[in-house]
Amino acid sequence: MIKTIRASKSEKILFIFLICLSIFAFTSFFLLKNKCLFVEKNNLSNLYFNEPNNIAVMNVECGNVIIELYPDISPKTVERFKILIEKKMYDGSAFYKVSENTFVQAGDIEYGNINNLDYSKIGSGNSGLGLLKSELNNDFKFTEGSVGFARTTEFDTEDSEFFITLKEIPIYQGEYTPIGKVVYGLDILTKIKTGNKAIYVLRPDYIKTFRLLNSN
Amino acid sequence: MKILIFFVFIFQISCVNADEIYNLLKIPNLEIYKLKNNNNIRYLSAKGNFKIGINKNITCEEVNINNLNTKFPLIEKNLNRYNSNFLNKIKLKYVVFCENLFISEINTGGIPDIKNRTLILDINFNKKYFERMIHHEIFHMIQNTHIKYFDEDKFSSFNHASFNYAECSTCSNRLNLDQYEKTDGFLTEYSKSIPSEDMAEIFSFLMTDKETIEVKINNDKILSKKVNYIKLNLAKIDKNIL
Repeated sequence: MIKTIRASKSEKILFIFLICLSIFAFTSFFLLKNKCLFVEKNNLSNLYFNEPNNIAVMNVECGNVIIELYPDISPKTVERFKILIEKKMYDGSAFYKVSENTFVQAGDIEYGNINNLDYSKIGSGNSGLGLLKSELNNDFKFTEGSVGFARTTEFDTEDSEFFITLKEIPIYQGEYTPIGKVVYGLDILTKIKTGNKAIYVLRPDYIKTFRLLNSN
Repeated sequence: MKILIFFVFIFQISCVNADEIYNLLKIPNLEIYKLKNNNNIRYLSAKGNFKIGINKNITCEEVNINNLNTKFPLIEKNLNRYNSNFLNKIKLKYVVFCENLFISEINTGGIPDIKNRTLILDINFNKKYFERMIHHEIFHMIQNTHIKYFDEDKFSSFNHASFNYAECSTCSNRLNLDQYEKTDGFLTEYSKSIPSEDMAEIFSFLMTDKETIEVKINNDKILSKKVNYIKLNLAKIDKNIL
């Protein structure tokens, strides 16, 4: 007759522990790989805005980034920004220049679209709408979530590229034209792929769509 | 060819440290030293060595913060003599501190860059000439932004007909910065290198030892013409600088 061997109490605990560990390892492998897992998606229907005409919604991989535009501070620049959004020229634009926890930059219409990336020329493209004069403001502080129009080393060379700060950058005050500020979804921008220690990103993340709230 | 460009691009970007200051000034390894000042100059310091310029021919080393803290009051005192309006006109906004500054392997006290509105200063430059060096480099920014006021041919014509400047500032062995006892048209040996260095030397003395220069020009007609030329044209930019 064969006797049944019963597991001791400590063996049972060890067995349960191993099962828990394997479940944890399995879920971690699949869930934690998803960088957007714990990011709030910002459902537009649940949000209220005082000036909806000056709200732009940038949709990226992890959700919606909602930006309030400041036409009172930089009228010409915000006008240009709105035109580029309305013409859907930012759709597919790559975040090719990203400094971890510092800033993200996109908006090269000519060489920075995800469907037509030109790594040798990226950052030097034009929108075809011409250059703008810098609209500098010495009082605007580039705090976390500030949106500014990028330029070359010279002033008055703004075209279509923009950056968003992920931390306060005091040295940018009076240096770049302010466009607006992120009101929701800054944590989404921190998930955008960086170039490790390099300022340029290979195989970058990109803007899926960019729309004005009132055109949605 | 495209593959080659791609690899060159990868190689180049892998060498650049990404940060907000690099994005603005195109100089890596900098950090903010002091931002708020009456004349809006922004002071930055090198937190690591850097190489910039064509073929990376400009090199400078990390700053020792204690060394900088000791020397900063003197630097600030000298730069505070320029108001923000004047600094805007000469395109100076950022002063970068580092140690052991070299351009094409030649040690130098400062390098002005009006394109990036930056003046790089070597805080280890010879103590004896340090204050003068600051104003000397400032003059180069003045001249570069106001070429029409500081015509080198006109300025050279004040010299004896037999005198010739060198082809470039480092092409001669006229490098001594000590003031001549007997000036004879030139304040230092370095003044004899090229016209722009001659002008910069005069300006630096006017900023640091004006009284001595006023005495010297009484007995030196050439120097007197040169000093008056500098003064006259500086007044067109800002009447209160000297």
